[in-house]
Amino acid sequence: MKRFFSFCLALVLVLSLAGCSGGGNGSGTSQGVQDTQADKGLEIMGDNVTYDPNHLVNDGAPITIDWWVWATEDMFRSIAEAYQEIHPNVTINVINNPWDGFFTKLPLALQRDEEGPTLFNIHNSYEHLLLNYIEPYDISTDDLIADYPSASTHLMDGNIYYMDYGLSTGMFYYNKDLWAEAGLTDDDIPKTWDEFIEVAQKLTKFDENGNMIQAGYNYNNYFNSTVIGLNYQFGDNLFSADGKESLVDGDGMKDAASFLIDLYEKYHVGDKDFGTNYDQSFYQGQSAMVFAWGFFVGNLATNAPDINYGTFEIPTQDGKTPYAYYRYNGESTPGINKNATDAQKEVAQDFIRFFLASDDVQIKLSQDGGLIPAKSSLMEAPELKDTPIVKTVGPHIDRYIWPGAMPSTVENNLKIAGEDILYNGKDADDALKTAADTIDIDLANADFTSSESLYAYYEE
Amino acid sequence: MKHKVLKTALYVVLALVGVITVFPFVWMVLSSFKTNGEIQSIVQTLLPQEPTVDNYMNLQQTFDFLRYFMNSIFIAVAVTVLVIYTSCLCGYVLGKYQFKGKNIIFGFVMMTMMVPWSVTIIPRYTMFMEAGLQDTYISLILPVMVSGFGIFMMKQNMESIPDELIEAARMDGSNEFQTFHKLVLPLCKNGISAIAIFQFLWVWEDYLWPYLMIDSEGKQLLAVGLTLFNGRYSTDYGGLFAATTISILPVIIVYVIFQKRFVAGVAAGAVKG
Repeated sequence: MKRFFSFCLALVLVLSLAGCSGGGNGSGTSQGVQDTQADKGLEIMGDNVTYDPNHLVNDGAPITIDWWVWATEDMFRSIAEAYQEIHPNVTINVINNPWDGFFTKLPLALQRDEEGPTLFNIHNSYEHLLLNYIEPYDISTDDLIADYPSASTHLMDGNIYYMDYGLSTGMFYYNKDLWAEAGLTDDDIPKTWDEFIEVAQKLTKFDENGNMIQAGYNYNNYFNSTVIGLNYQFGDNLFSADGKESLVDGDGMKDAASFLIDLYEKYHVGDKDFGTNYDQSFYQGQSAMVFAWGFFVGNLATNAPDINYGTFEIPTQDGKTPYAYYRYNGESTPGINKNATDAQKEVAQDFIRFFLASDDVQIKLSQDGGLIPAKSSLMEAPELKDTPIVKTVGPHIDRYIWPGAMPSTVENNLKIAGEDILYNGKDADDALKTAADTIDIDLANADFTSSESLYAYYEE
Repeated sequence: MKHKVLKTALYVVLALVGVITVFPFVWMVLSSFKTNGEIQSIVQTLLPQEPTVDNYMNLQQTFDFLRYFMNSIFIAVAVTVLVIYTSCLCGYVLGKYQFKGKNIIFGFVMMTMMVPWSVTIIPRYTMFMEAGLQDTYISLILPVMVSGFGIFMMKQNMESIPDELIEAARMDGSNEFQTFHKLVLPLCKNGISAIAIFQFLWVWEDYLWPYLMIDSEGKQLLAVGLTLFNGRYSTDYGGLFAATTISILPVIIVYVIFQKRFVAGVAAGAVKG
């Protein structure tokens, strides 16, 4: 036993050296060098939001800031490195965190003054948790909106605290091989919902016993994400005129939900029991069409690289331009911690200006993230104009609505409603009413106001 | 004959339960050699159809797997050793010394086991923040270095040691320090083994507290690292299974080392000697 304890203690000592040595770089440790050259001979970047690299930040003295991100750490690190090349006295530690729990830990960390992260990525559904800790951007809001039109939806008290660098929305993905097998061509890409039902029926297959063996369209486990936004085509906004209450139990949402249910129960182009997940069914080539957001391009590359797929825009009732095709959501620019030191905030403000003015940065963000660039001048950039989402949705992106920094309660409760309707036989109106009641309580607690009224065609 | 049939039936049931228990683990290990497409395939096979070691080769790309692994080993071993020592010490005092208020102290120790950790996590977080212990390993070790469960187990174990042995040691000139370290501790191997396994496992799989306290990536633990495979839109199951397969090796090694004494230790803790 004595030998065992001696061994354990020795092991602890050895491992403590291994475990503690060379740890991460806390914000107190500066690795940068003194920068004495203000004029670097570099060009000024940007259109309205401009960035002149020929200046010193923090008077050229070494300084380190932390930037918390979730996922795509390499992409954000390369942006930080591009900035550090201009300002060698600055070190930006990009710290990757798991998505799960990120917004539990972040508000706590932002209270720790200079010890917390100076920059942090934001997801707009958690805006209400973070607003108290964010410093507004020190950039003219007119300039921001001129370059990034969607920034207007992020104006709060005359300031912009964060905005979108890229936009994403839903579109249909179709399996080109199954499409050809069914005798369909590019001319059959549906523009209306009637045409959609027609091609979906052609793409649906049953065996001799009447069991479905191929779904024309599959939305299993994605009912909620699909139906939120479809209401715009069925005559209702998602929120009331004052932006405070949901219209989840309104006629528009009821009709949208009924339409999705009819696709399965009336037109039999899919089935609630045909696979539990729309995406996996598409990966396996068992569903010919699915509706998913821009991120699905990356998921297909990872999980089903052999699927030969194309995309098309969400159809409309009559093939004409609707009040709104659907909703969009933005990937948000980093926030600046208002509790950071003045020196840290100066660096962060300078970095954000660089982040927004640099076309190279914005192109990389949209390319790697499968996004529509929020900077409108980049819509025709050669690197982006042929990406699936820009090609499919880009021309009409002004006809998509951002409902606002919608708390996750909306999606969560509509998920429950969808499952109640599809699997528990609950009446659709009752299920939506239950969802609406819960959502409204949560919205009141979150002090939420919808941004729908900022939509350019809101009065139509 | 009837006894034999019952025994056979019992073995069959136990074997079935064993298979059901082990199957998900075996499936996970085998799936770590599959591509993500095959893992998510509707047509499932137990054995990989196109075996690949890419999930293992790419582990370092998601995060610094080796560093996280070593960090977890360090914390788990450090905490386990400390808990064993503090549990034995407290268990010895409560089990073998007679003094006023002993039962009240033991009652308090038992009460700490009945307070859910989720109730204490907020005040604990605030305390550690105020003490400036954020992003230090002390913040991971300090709150768990004394375990109510460990003290309870070791008190029961200590009570099974005959008083005569301790008296004999004292009469032979052994001081209290020597008696505890040279006589009592070696007699508690079974209880120590049980605590070692439980404590190592708890620390190894702990997620929320290390996630909240550690900011630097270089200091982060493996349980937190594993969640990096779970993205916002999708999960890299292949990578997750490969990392999990490797991450459970230390737990298995600890169990193999201590298993012989584990059952005896738990049994001894369950009854008063």
